[in-house]
Amino acid sequence: MLPFLARRGAMALAVVWLAASLSFVALRWAPGDALDATMARAGASEAQIDAQRAGLGLDDPLPIQYGRYWLDVARGRWGVSLVTGQPVLELIAQNARPTLTLALAALGVALALGVTLGVMDGLGRPAALRWAAGGLAALALATPVYWTSTLAIYTFTVALNLLPGVGGSGPRAVILPGLVLGFHTAGSIARVTAASVRDAARGDFVRTARAKGLPEHDVIDHILRVGLLPVVSVVALQAGFLLGGTVITEMIFVRRGLGQVLLAAVTNRDYPVVQGLVILAALVYTTLNAGADALYHRLDPRTRREG
Amino acid sequence: MQWRGVRFTVALTLGGVVLALSALAPLLATHDPRAAAPEAQLQPPSREHLFGTDLLGRDVYSRVLYGGRRTFAVALLTVVITLGPGLLVGAAAGATGGWVDGLLMTLMDALLAVPALVLALALLALLGSGSVQIAAAVGIAGIPAYARVTRAAVLEARARPYIEAARAIGARPAGILVRHILPTIAPPLLAFAGVTLSWAILNSAALVFLGFGGDIAAPDWGVMLADGRQAFRTAPWVALAPGVALSLTVLAINWLADGIDRVTRR
Repeated sequence: MLPFLARRGAMALAVVWLAASLSFVALRWAPGDALDATMARAGASEAQIDAQRAGLGLDDPLPIQYGRYWLDVARGRWGVSLVTGQPVLELIAQNARPTLTLALAALGVALALGVTLGVMDGLGRPAALRWAAGGLAALALATPVYWTSTLAIYTFTVALNLLPGVGGSGPRAVILPGLVLGFHTAGSIARVTAASVRDAARGDFVRTARAKGLPEHDVIDHILRVGLLPVVSVVALQAGFLLGGTVITEMIFVRRGLGQVLLAAVTNRDYPVVQGLVILAALVYTTLNAGADALYHRLDPRTRREG
Repeated sequence: MQWRGVRFTVALTLGGVVLALSALAPLLATHDPRAAAPEAQLQPPSREHLFGTDLLGRDVYSRVLYGGRRTFAVALLTVVITLGPGLLVGAAAGATGGWVDGLLMTLMDALLAVPALVLALALLALLGSGSVQIAAAVGIAGIPAYARVTRAAVLEARARPYIEAARAIGARPAGILVRHILPTIAPPLLAFAGVTLSWAILNSAALVFLGFGGDIAAPDWGVMLADGRQAFRTAPWVALAPGVALSLTVLAINWLADGIDRVTRR
């Protein structure tokens, strides 16, 4: 267990380091950042912009910037926004909560709906139930958030006046965006669950269980114990991807959050903010996946055989 | 099992219809997709305007038809950008193994660690707005997944008994690659190319929707969905037509990829 975790942790660190370094190189390479745009708009001269740039250390050679960048990251200084001058980490901290709320709500919906649809698609009887569940899952995969949101807001806010739509606040405001984002995510979870459950149902242990006359619901219980294991990995994967989904959802529902911060930063070429969010996303993703692997390791004795 | 056959046929028909409608857009369109008509704003569907008109009075039906062409063009370019490097990296990693494999796959993992849409957005911050830029950004974001699938397919093929046998009787590596490995890995890679295509459509339309398409007047499903969002309170049809078209297209491609995967497996 321990060497496995250590190896997994080292790999996760390597991945985050590489992701951060790639984004560092790519973004420093880029021409014309927000500093140019904002200061020129404020009427600053070329010399003033250069002075500001030198003050921020942006004109040093790349290797030196890179070294200083990692020292800063390690010390918790993730640079400052080129637009507002606010520290990136502070910006992230201020906007993390609404995004986390939305992501958790969506994940809850996705997990409940995805596993239900997946199990029904994989094992459901009669066949019509399988078709319906499979069809709904396929539909969820094929309807992106930027189209279901409009539909959902029209139905639940405009027509039925049940739920707050755009720009709402308070706990009720998270319901609709959470449902919409969760529905799309449920498609992937259902797909993997169905395949895995179907696979498990073909296992030898299932034939044995049936042969010795176990009641059907006990057989199903056996199947699900094996068949639902991969859900752990998919959920970790999807949770990592939710930051991508929240970008669009937050924009449509006009919610404060990291997605909105990222959108603004991309539009303004505010490189330090973009970079901070890329590193954050990589960190979240690798942490979740390492956690899922460790959990898998505990849940499934078959994975423990090799070291 | 029968259901799978039905589904594949439905998907094939649907895909064919969408392709035909897009290809024949200039013949089928009743209006110029870019022509604004201020006097005909937000009209509900009628004989004159089959799917109604949008905020600027443009014909939604004609715009959906032309939008299909644009969407397909961008998505195909995206897939081309993904496939080349993805195949190369995956094949190199799978065929060589050892430290090359480790290095390449760690690199792919690093790219995979950032959600595709976030990665694509970060790339757009570098590249700027536009259709080609979107195709490049989404295409690059798709490379790691394709490389992983290619590598897995190559590894799986190399372990097949008939390929081991070919190696055992002393066939040349190049000959084994062309005659035995390529035919083995082609079907799963084709199926995953289908998945990549629908993924490319969804993500490039997302970026267009977010306003990075460069041309906000273009007949494009992403642009139309963004327009529809502005007007949905009074005119839900503006978003309905492009949304349904987008979903049906993605659904058809997914089911086709599924079918290819199922038919060719083993």
